[in-house]
Amino acid sequence: MTNTYLRGMVVKIAVLGLALALAVYAAFPLADAHAWGWLAVLVVVTGLIFAIYLSPRPVPAKYLVPGVLFLLAFQVIPVLYTVATAFTNYGDGHRGTKQDAITAIQSSSVRQVPGAAEYALSVALDDGGLKFLLLSPDGKAYAGDAQGLHELGAGAVTVTAGRIAAADGYQLLDLGQATQRNDEVLAFTVPTPDGAIRATGLTRAYTGQATRFYDAGCDCVTDRGTGAQWFADERTGEFVGRGGTDGEHLAQGWKVGVGLRNFARVVTDGRIAGPFLQTLVWNLAFAVGSVLATFALGLACALALHADRLRGRGIYRVLLVLPYAMPSFAMLLVWRDLFNQDFGLINRVTGLHVDWFGSPWTARLAVILVQLWLGYPYMFLVATGALQAIPREMAEAAAIDGATAGQRLRRVTLPLLLVALTPLLISSFAFNFNNFNAIYLTTDGAPFPAGNSSIGATDLLITYTYRVAFGGSGAQFGFAAALSVYIFAIVAVISVIGFRRSRKQEEVYA
Amino acid sequence: MSARTIAWVRHTGWRHSVGVLAVAFSLFPIVFVVSAALNPLGSLSSTGLIPDSAGLGNFAGLFRETDFAHWYLNSVLIAGIAAAAGVFLSILAAYAFSRMRFRGRRAGLVSLLLIQMFPQFLSVVTIYLIFAGLGDYYPALGLDSPWGLMLLYLGGALGVNTWLMKGFLDTVPKELDESAVIDGASHAQIFFRVTLPLVAPILAVTALLGFITTINEVLLANVFLRSDGAKTLAVGLYGLVAEKRNANFGMFCAGSLLTAIPTVVVFQVLQRYIVSGLTAGAVKG
Amino acid sequence: MRIPLRAVGVFALAALTLTACGSSKTPESTSTQPAATLTIWADDQRSAALKPFAEAFGKANHVEVQVQAVSKDLQTNYVTAAQSGKGPDIVVGAHDWIGNLVQNGTIDPIQLSDSQKSAFADVAVKAVTFNGQLYGVPYAIENLALIRNTDLAPTAPATIEDLVAAGKALKDSGKVSNILSLQVGQNGDAYHIYPLFSSAGGYLFGTKPNGDYDPADLGVGKPASVEAFKKIAALGEKGAGALTRSVNSDNSIPTFTGGKTPFLISGPWAVADIKKAGLKYDITPIPPFAGGKPAQPFVGVQAFYVASKGKSKALANEFITNYLTKPDLQVALYQANPRPPALTAAMDQVKGSDPDIEKWLTAGKGGAVLPAIPAMAAVWDPFGKAESAIVGGADVPATLSGASKTITDAISK
Repeated sequence: MTNTYLRGMVVKIAVLGLALALAVYAAFPLADAHAWGWLAVLVVVTGLIFAIYLSPRPVPAKYLVPGVLFLLAFQVIPVLYTVATAFTNYGDGHRGTKQDAITAIQSSSVRQVPGAAEYALSVALDDGGLKFLLLSPDGKAYAGDAQGLHELGAGAVTVTAGRIAAADGYQLLDLGQATQRNDEVLAFTVPTPDGAIRATGLTRAYTGQATRFYDAGCDCVTDRGTGAQWFADERTGEFVGRGGTDGEHLAQGWKVGVGLRNFARVVTDGRIAGPFLQTLVWNLAFAVGSVLATFALGLACALALHADRLRGRGIYRVLLVLPYAMPSFAMLLVWRDLFNQDFGLINRVTGLHVDWFGSPWTARLAVILVQLWLGYPYMFLVATGALQAIPREMAEAAAIDGATAGQRLRRVTLPLLLVALTPLLISSFAFNFNNFNAIYLTTDGAPFPAGNSSIGATDLLITYTYRVAFGGSGAQFGFAAALSVYIFAIVAVISVIGFRRSRKQEEVYA
Repeated sequence: MSARTIAWVRHTGWRHSVGVLAVAFSLFPIVFVVSAALNPLGSLSSTGLIPDSAGLGNFAGLFRETDFAHWYLNSVLIAGIAAAAGVFLSILAAYAFSRMRFRGRRAGLVSLLLIQMFPQFLSVVTIYLIFAGLGDYYPALGLDSPWGLMLLYLGGALGVNTWLMKGFLDTVPKELDESAVIDGASHAQIFFRVTLPLVAPILAVTALLGFITTINEVLLANVFLRSDGAKTLAVGLYGLVAEKRNANFGMFCAGSLLTAIPTVVVFQVLQRYIVSGLTAGAVKG
Repeated sequence: MRIPLRAVGVFALAALTLTACGSSKTPESTSTQPAATLTIWADDQRSAALKPFAEAFGKANHVEVQVQAVSKDLQTNYVTAAQSGKGPDIVVGAHDWIGNLVQNGTIDPIQLSDSQKSAFADVAVKAVTFNGQLYGVPYAIENLALIRNTDLAPTAPATIEDLVAAGKALKDSGKVSNILSLQVGQNGDAYHIYPLFSSAGGYLFGTKPNGDYDPADLGVGKPASVEAFKKIAALGEKGAGALTRSVNSDNSIPTFTGGKTPFLISGPWAVADIKKAGLKYDITPIPPFAGGKPAQPFVGVQAFYVASKGKSKALANEFITNYLTKPDLQVALYQANPRPPALTAAMDQVKGSDPDIEKWLTAGKGGAVLPAIPAMAAVWDPFGKAESAIVGGADVPATLSGASKTITDAISK
């Protein structure tokens, strides 16, 4: 016993030491970047790990911490953050901050001054820093900086291939060197009477001027040319025009909080609230149907192949699970083509001429059939594992008591299997409830009733959400998040009810 | 029919017929894929179950025209490590959920399930931002790195698999642990020496499932991996057919078949293990 | 179990020293990194074509150029990445992305000199101009045309009616299985049906006096469009059978290359497969309905865009404005993926060796520039599904009024 005790201790020290080493390693970049908040998180987490694993008692946390840490960092936090966006207008046109929008508006309004000269540009350095060496179309050479242009004597520069290749007192930069000063080059402007010379690329410069600018005083954007003004509206996150541009808003908006508006829209928008119930019913049917069908077939196969002296059992098993080994997205695409009315292999092989995805019920049957094919090997595998985990003595004892094979299955094997597999059935239900790919890659919701393009006969809530959120005018993450919260709530209620049932079973058999 | 034949049908024959039917169902679309992979002019609609002509051109094309070998290696490594680590994290948690009673246990179990249910296409943006930030501090864990992707996959380790394992642990009699406690073993020893061998079959099954899920994952990997050499099979293959499905269909099918190979190998390896786990369990039981 | 704290302490100290040594090296290695990098995102097809040129550009200018293929959802991924500052310096995509990329502030205008602009085909420059600014440098023009198998159909049909009659005769004689291969699919395809729709008198958006599309004037539910769709319904499954939902984006080209149909309505991307199959073919403009308006295909342009927050934005501008505007790269992109180049000089170079180019341009003459206004995003899906329903035999006015309402709601939102 002392031997194993020692070994256990060594392992423990090694693992904790490794954790500490990792934490220390992780701390350096954070300290370098002065990310004190994150550093504090790191210290707390490391401290917590030590506190838990140095405790002599068999606390559950010892088993839960590793997984939960990952779960928190990469699942819980993203989900919470996403749910938080449900209270904003986050989406295309409203992705960034107001400052981002202002920058975008100003920089996209820079126009060439009509008739102004273009220059061949060479980026150079002198004692004072970055300079633009410019060659005008009429062959004059200039050096430009924030003070303006000044002409260089013809003798002081060497021109090759239409650009200044060397100049006295300047060190010319090649593209690579100039790119390392990217931000400097971009911000560099040489003022001239009709605007400012800016670089476009690294070998050409033009005279340009921003035609729109933001004024913090009026919190508005003004167009230099037309005088039109757009005022910030913090409720919608847009610059809205007044006067001549009444009602129009600038394309570039920013993210603002919208309170419960997204949630209210789900309920009040007839296009969304109307078909919700019908879709929910089909969604439940799809999930239940997929789980039951896959479970029934998987279990049947597992039972059939659960015999010690069955020849070729290994081969059956491998071939049977092949659907699971194939990349599922690929096979969904293949199945879609198999169901094609005129070209699909199913109609060709069976001699039928069924328009599978053309009518609601055949389409629903088809998608469940595809799910059956994709999912039953999984059920087969788990059922096989479960069957093997059932102590043989139990079945044998029952056999000695004179129970028939059917009775043994019903009274001994199935109940034990269900204890092991109920959680799996629930989780499989949950997976299928939100099985996006199963619909998106096959029917994409088809068939759609004529005149209604937003919800089809095979749509699940999640494919429907996807279409409502991304199908219209660009991505509306905020709104989609609100929709998901509703769906999430529905699934949660269903799962909790299902879980209550499993608790009863757990207490009976555990 | 002789009595012996009838007995054979009752005991073994029906098993074979179920097996053959199930295999036929399983193989039907796969035969189509094989046929398309072998068909040098393979296209979706022109392919039948038996190819008009056969050749390995599509397989050669995969290695010649794409970074297939890299994708393959990346996928096997990422899926292998993520599956193994995931199973370990998962069984630890499942053990706690099955054997210990603590506050928040049920809530914890339900939450595990619920978190998995949030639509991932929505959190992709957030995940992207998180890893963009992580990459600023630790380039090796940021975007376009297989390690970051692996971390992300481990975030999903607790979840469906935990449920599955907890269910199995519930079927393993508690008396076994308790007798070990009396022998003076520490709880960690019980876990590693007594419990783990007993649940070896389900460890094998979940490892396989984890491997398959990871190797098939497109959504997150597509957002994560940019450089050709860093891609996984799923992302690479998707790229083959994303735009020009007809032209690359043969290559795509060939790639899909090759993708199935590591899974089948893992399955074969674990299948033996499932059996040995079973006998080990029987001895202890 | 007890852990001797001293042991842990020693181990931790060792670990600490180790990592400290390790991390002290990092700053040196970052400072000696190679020169600037330029990152380009494109889809799989284009990134393969770009790679050699990007490498040549990199070598000549002492910079590292990385071309990265994004297989799925390139536009969305780009917007997400660009917005968080992790995006590429250049992205390649269709010109109808511009509206969305601009409203997210992810691309900046490009300044080309007048002489550079005039080197491009007019329609290409028009396509990448948005709100009066040039947002991308175009490299390829694409539009639909009628491709026919000259063995099966020696003469080009003058009208849709002629086409259907010729196809039907072949089908009745058992030589082909489909009159025409025009992809519809389960959920429709607005892009491919548009030429027939426009020939029959339908329209999507009215135009403002300055020639821009006017989102306020939606044509989908208007009587002219209803009449147009009635003509399309007559070609559908309950009519002539020239249009069926079973023909989709995956099988439309193979149906043609397999000799199962004399006619294919598709774009330049179909040619490679047709050549591979060894068919004799000809490319002609899509015929109009008898007595109808001309059949206008959409004209789309593929272009390069400069990311507004790219780390090497100046270099990206350099690559796009001064390198892409030269014929060599455009010819190479054509060779990798034969679509008519947008640069006139490049077009002239390839015209000689490829007679198809001229034919594609002829077919695209009078085409409608694919609308880049964000409102167009609301049209594709409802319009396509309405088309699919009508081809399947649904009632035309009811279907279109539903679609029209959906589109109007989405635009006004």
